[in-house]
Amino acid sequence: MSPKAQKEEIYTRHASSHPSELGKSLADMMNPEGKAEVLDDVLVLDVSSGNFAGIIAASLFAEFGAEVIKIEPPEGDPARLMTPFGANVKGVGIPFMFEARNKRYLTLDIKNNDSDRKIFRKLAQKAAVVIETFPAGDMDSWGIGYRQLGRENTGLVYIAITPYGQYTDKARQFARMPDSDITSQAGSGLPAEMGDVPDAGEPYNWPLRAGMWAGWYISGVSATLAGIVALIHRQNTGQGQLVDVAGMDAYASMVGIPVSIGYTWQKARPRIGVLDFILYPYGHWKCKDGYVAIAAPRDHDFRALLKVLGLWEIEDDWRYSSDRIPDILEQATHLHKLIEKETIKYTADELVRMALNYSKKSARSKWRGGGVPIVMKLMTPETAMESKQWQIRKTFQEVEDKDLGKYIISSNFVKMSASPPRVKWVSCEIGKDNDYVRNKYLQE
Amino acid sequence: MEDYFSYTEKLFNPAEAAGKPEALKGVRVLDFSHVIFGPIAARLLADYGAEVIKLELPFSGDLWRPATYWGKYWKHSNPIWHNITKNKYFLSVNLKLDKSKELIYKMAETADVVVENFAPGTAEAWKIGYSQISKINTKIIFLSCSTYGQYGPMRYFPGWDLLAQGASGVLSLNGYPGTDKFFKLPDYLGDFVPGNFGALAIMMALYYRNKTGKGQYIDVAQTETLMRLLSNYTFHSVMGGEVGRTGNSDPTMVPASILQSKDKKFLALACTNQEQFSGLLNAMNRKDLLTDERFTSNLTRSKPENARVLTEIVSDWVKSKTGAEIINIAIDQSFPAAEVEDDYTICNSSWRRARGSVVLFQDTMYGELMIAGPSAQLSGTPSRTKWLARPLGYHNRLVLKKFLGMSDEDIMDLEKKKVIGTFDDRPGLKPPVYYNLAEDPIYNYGKEVNQ
Repeated sequence: MSPKAQKEEIYTRHASSHPSELGKSLADMMNPEGKAEVLDDVLVLDVSSGNFAGIIAASLFAEFGAEVIKIEPPEGDPARLMTPFGANVKGVGIPFMFEARNKRYLTLDIKNNDSDRKIFRKLAQKAAVVIETFPAGDMDSWGIGYRQLGRENTGLVYIAITPYGQYTDKARQFARMPDSDITSQAGSGLPAEMGDVPDAGEPYNWPLRAGMWAGWYISGVSATLAGIVALIHRQNTGQGQLVDVAGMDAYASMVGIPVSIGYTWQKARPRIGVLDFILYPYGHWKCKDGYVAIAAPRDHDFRALLKVLGLWEIEDDWRYSSDRIPDILEQATHLHKLIEKETIKYTADELVRMALNYSKKSARSKWRGGGVPIVMKLMTPETAMESKQWQIRKTFQEVEDKDLGKYIISSNFVKMSASPPRVKWVSCEIGKDNDYVRNKYLQE
Repeated sequence: MEDYFSYTEKLFNPAEAAGKPEALKGVRVLDFSHVIFGPIAARLLADYGAEVIKLELPFSGDLWRPATYWGKYWKHSNPIWHNITKNKYFLSVNLKLDKSKELIYKMAETADVVVENFAPGTAEAWKIGYSQISKINTKIIFLSCSTYGQYGPMRYFPGWDLLAQGASGVLSLNGYPGTDKFFKLPDYLGDFVPGNFGALAIMMALYYRNKTGKGQYIDVAQTETLMRLLSNYTFHSVMGGEVGRTGNSDPTMVPASILQSKDKKFLALACTNQEQFSGLLNAMNRKDLLTDERFTSNLTRSKPENARVLTEIVSDWVKSKTGAEIINIAIDQSFPAAEVEDDYTICNSSWRRARGSVVLFQDTMYGELMIAGPSAQLSGTPSRTKWLARPLGYHNRLVLKKFLGMSDEDIMDLEKKKVIGTFDDRPGLKPPVYYNLAEDPIYNYGKEVNQ
């Protein structure tokens, strides 16, 4: 077998050893084409400004079928210019292109122009959802906050996204402080848990930023989740409400773990590099041609891993999960190096195959205790795109905009048999749908 | 007109939250899932009022029950577990037995939602998959959770949060360029994010069912939900090359870094637009940079060579001020800045208590425990904590009697046949030692107890 064919075989063996009819029928069942759209009765107005949490929430509503109107001033949302290394196509940044899903674009300057506010107010009477990210109280002072819009449209779900929220003294004191991804990450506790061990030297032992917009995406997903809760309540009772998302809650509230540990331990965890504070082994190791992720935290998984790597002679010292957890950093680092000495001898594909072969036998054996050491090749986003798994699941989609050309986005993030999300088009042009919106919603 | 913040204070008053309506009241969920991904999807439904019945194997229970940080237990329970599985009914039943399947089929008749995260194919093999349950209840909304999805050549590969982080590529992004120093996202974020997407998909399906009466099957692969959060794929397809690791700086805007102040505080500082940048320069007394052609727009500032220069200038300025000074300046000049917060500062912050982002919860079994609030506050139908996690099998009697109308004899018979069971002596499964279960009216539901 050629190396290429052999490599392919690792990741498709299950499909070839079974008839893949079940897989095929599931793929057909989940095909979005021709299916209903959940939110086809929902109008969303996104007036977020320079804040991707709002844009992301609007995208998710749009992917589930809502009519989403992105409202921005004539010079465009500053979010258009936020992009890695300044990379852009005709002045539009990559993240804005990535989130430009199924939306309409209307120009209104509600920050500065009173007559534009009146138009917005008229639109809001027909809307189910408003998303805004202005300083807390600004929309209210312009006469178009939840207090006013909710009176005219009692079913309105009004989502406000700010760093410190819409109530408490802190929110009042920090109202002028704008939101950003990195401050949301830092203020909600993510970087404090990530970074190298204390003696690694600066800056490696500093709190580390997640290499993605973890703050903004968590706030955006949280806003959408709260939004659908409110839409269900509206569906049942006709009542709308105010949804308040604070960027400083993002990470801490989604995972909850910092609060539980802070309270029961009354200390903050130190940063422990590639180790995990509950499970071991649970991380990544160097191998001959890159890196592998290894998860074998249960005792029988760990024993299996030792067999696979030919390390059985050390079993006695590390038998129980309590021997392996990194409460003593030096001890855990020692074990980490023992494992690395072995993983470095093999390529990623070899290690994956070794673990799979063991697991297969283990599953059939009376004596091997069902240990499943999971070993997988570590991907970068770029190599992940090539995987057959995601091609078959249509996780990546090529889209085309008449100005920006063809590009690839990740979509179809959940598969649903009756009313799946989907991306129908991408577009970005400022004011592109001014006439459309005027004709459809502002006649009379 | 009333001051805005007094108006919102009343609208969100945490003291009134418990009396407000619940959006998902009357929704019944069967939760076959374990560890974090599935349980979080089900818990979010419970937080908004759904009745979630969690099924676990007798005498072993959910794998995550004993998995606490550094082996530290709190009142013989796992403090992290309370956050992951609060507000649920704990039924311990051996899913593999035929007799248990009868119970499950009966519960499925009146259930609205099923959540499972066994290895793909397992639920079908055990005859509790979508194809079987949807025959009993055609309106069922059935969520299957997995790492790679229910179809595709990798579907049978087992996985955890780590593997999803590795497969999506996000793991490779957290760290420093040109080094092998990179780290996974902490606290199993690769489970919590997909858990939230799972709950989102279920609620979309509930909304759809309210309109049409139709149920559906949902397949959430945790890797795909992480992929939804990365525009790196688009960067690659448009620009070629990769974003890669960028250390402590956000490559999409400049300045945007985690820096250290004069008093050795770590803080994040950013400018998301020109106005904020101008405010920062004002504070730094460096208005001259505003007309420097390298810095006239975020697009030019973000070019690597300009970003390096500017980040260094800002970093030097931050070193000359205390953390508190910088935060005050940031409020004054309206640019984002925040100190790096950790486990301790988050749980001890008074404004988070006032907001309900952290809640000092009073539980009937465990007493006081600080627990995280929701990541969004709703004025009309707020998320709430009603009770913490419970010992394995704690609600057996309540679920079987109240929800299924079974008699004491039926229940004793199930116990004898080991269809249902409870905890053993392991921490994480059993109640706290001080707690007298014999006097607990819920554990002994339908029996006379001396309270």
